Amino acid sequence: MTRTTLVTVNVHGVGPEAASIPEDELFGRFGLGRYTYRIGLARVLESLRRSEIKATFFWPVFEAERCRALLEQCLADGHEVASNGLAFEDHISLGEREDAVLEKAHSRLTALCGTAPVGFRAPTGTLSDRTIPILRRLGYRYDSSFIDDDAPYPLDGDGGTGMVELPVSQGMTDATHFGQRLTQSRAEAFMIEAWDALLATDGYACLTLHPRADLGVGRAARITMIERLFERARGLGSDFQLCRKAAAEAGRQFGSSVPPGAA
Amino acid sequence: MAAPTRWPGGARTVLCVTVHVDGPSEEAGRGLNALGIHSRGRYAIRRGVRRYLDMFDRLGIPATFFVCGQDVETWPELYRDIHRAGHELAAHGYQHEGWDLGEAEPALLEKTHRIIADTVGEAPVGWCSPSGRKSRLTLPTLRRLGYRYDSSEKDDDLPYLLPEEVGQPDFAILPNNVVSLDDHPMYAIGRALASEVLETWIRELEAIEAGDGYVHLIIHPEANGGSGVPARAAAVEAFLRHAQARPGLRALRMKTLAEHCLADPAAWRNPRL
Repeated sequence: MTRTTLVTVNVHGVGPEAASIPEDELFGRFGLGRYTYRIGLARVLESLRRSEIKATFFWPVFEAERCRALLEQCLADGHEVASNGLAFEDHISLGEREDAVLEKAHSRLTALCGTAPVGFRAPTGTLSDRTIPILRRLGYRYDSSFIDDDAPYPLDGDGGTGMVELPVSQGMTDATHFGQRLTQSRAEAFMIEAWDALLATDGYACLTLHPRADLGVGRAARITMIERLFERARGLGSDFQLCRKAAAEAGRQFGSSVPPGAA
Repeated sequence: MAAPTRWPGGARTVLCVTVHVDGPSEEAGRGLNALGIHSRGRYAIRRGVRRYLDMFDRLGIPATFFVCGQDVETWPELYRDIHRAGHELAAHGYQHEGWDLGEAEPALLEKTHRIIADTVGEAPVGWCSPSGRKSRLTLPTLRRLGYRYDSSEKDDDLPYLLPEEVGQPDFAILPNNVVSLDDHPMYAIGRALASEVLETWIRELEAIEAGDGYVHLIIHPEANGGSGVPARAAAVEAFLRHAQARPGLRALRMKTLAEHCLADPAAWRNPRL
C-alpha cells in the first residue's frame, strides 16, 4: 500500500474576525490574524521549502487580496492554490447568493493566480446541498471539507459526478488542538496518534495547518514541531502530494473521467 | 566580542516577565463580591504577588506588573512594595474591564493613571488591555497621558513602532503572546499540568533564541487559572532559572525595552525590513 500525506494550509489572517467586525476596529485579540501577514505565512512557506514539501494552500479571496506578495511566493514555490471561498461565508445560509459568491471567488482567485483552481474547501466548514453541484459546474475536480472517511471517495452521490472528496482529519488539524489551548506536546501527541493510524489504515492522511499564532503553527516553536512531524511521516514511508494530483489519481481509480491537464 | 544584536547591551535574547495582577477589582467590575468561590483575585493580593516579589528578588529579575486601578486604590501598600522593589507598574484597566467601554473609556484610563501615579509617585508609561480589546479612543488617550508603549497586540514576535505621526512622540507596540507564553489559557482551557506548561515555555524559549530573540512571559499570580499557587509558581521559577542559564539572555522591564526601541525609530518602525 502506498502512503500519502496531503499537506494543506488554510490561509487565514484577519478574515474570520473581519466577517463580523469592521477591519479598522480589529485591535489586540481581534487583530491576531495579522500575525499571518506579518510573519506566520512566511514562516510556513520557508518551512515547507526547508522540508522540500509541496502543499495545497486554500486561499480565501479576502486573504489573497491582502497578501499578494505571499500569494506569489506560494505559487513560485510550486504549491497548489485552491479556493477557500470569498470572505469566510457560511454556505448553509447563503441561499440564492451562493452561485454568485462561488463564481466571484473562482474568477477573482483565477485572476490573481493566472490559473483556475480545481479544488475547494468550505471557508467555515459548512456546505449547502447546492455547493458541490455549483463547484462541478465551475469545473472543480475535488472538494476537501468533509470529515466522513479515511480516504478519498467519489462525490457522484452528492451532485458532484466526476468529482472527488479528499476528506480532512480533525485529529490532524492544528486548530482542533491549539483552539483548545492544549500545550504543544499534547497537540503533537494528538496529531501523531491520528496520523500514524490513518497511514496504517488506507495509506491516506490529510494534514491541515493554519499560519496564525493562536489556532495554527505560525509560531517559531510550532514550526519546529511540524518539521519533526514531516520527518516522522517520511520515516513511516509516506510521500507528500498536492491535492490536485491525489484527486486525479483517485478519480482514475474510481473510473471518473478526469480531463487531461487537471492534474 | 559578540556580534552586535538588536537588543540592549548586545544581549542575544531579551526576557520580559509581565505579572498581570487581576485582583478582586475584576470581580467587582462584574458586579460580584470577592468571597468564597469568587476569591481567586484575593489570592493574588494575599499570597501571589508577594510570592513573585520574593522569587524575583531571589533571582534578581526586574519585572513589569500590569495592575488594575481599583486594586491599587484598595491595597496601596502592596503596590508600593512592588515599586520599591524596583519593578515597573503599568496600567491594566480600573476593574479589568474586558468589554467595550464606549465614551467612558478615556475617563477610566485617566482615573487608573492618576491612581498609580499618586500611589507610587511615578506615572506609568505602559498599558496592556485587560482582555486584548482596544477601541479607536484607546491609543489617542494613552498618548495624551504620556504613555510610550502598548502591550496588547498579538500580531508579531518583535516589538515595532506605530507609523510616524507629525507632532506626536513615537509609540511602541510590545506584543504579548497569549497563546503559549501565557499561563492562563493553558491552565484554564487546556487543563495542562505545570510540568507540561514548563515544557512548552522551554520549547518557546529555544525557538525564540534561534530566531527573533524576544521572550515575553505572562504570569497571573492568582488562584484558579493563574500561577499563584505553589505548584505553578514552582514551574515559573524553574523556567526563569533555565532562562537565566542561557548565554546572552537579559531580563528587563517592558519600559526599558520600549525606551530602547524608541531611541532608534528607524530600526524599529519595521524591524523585519
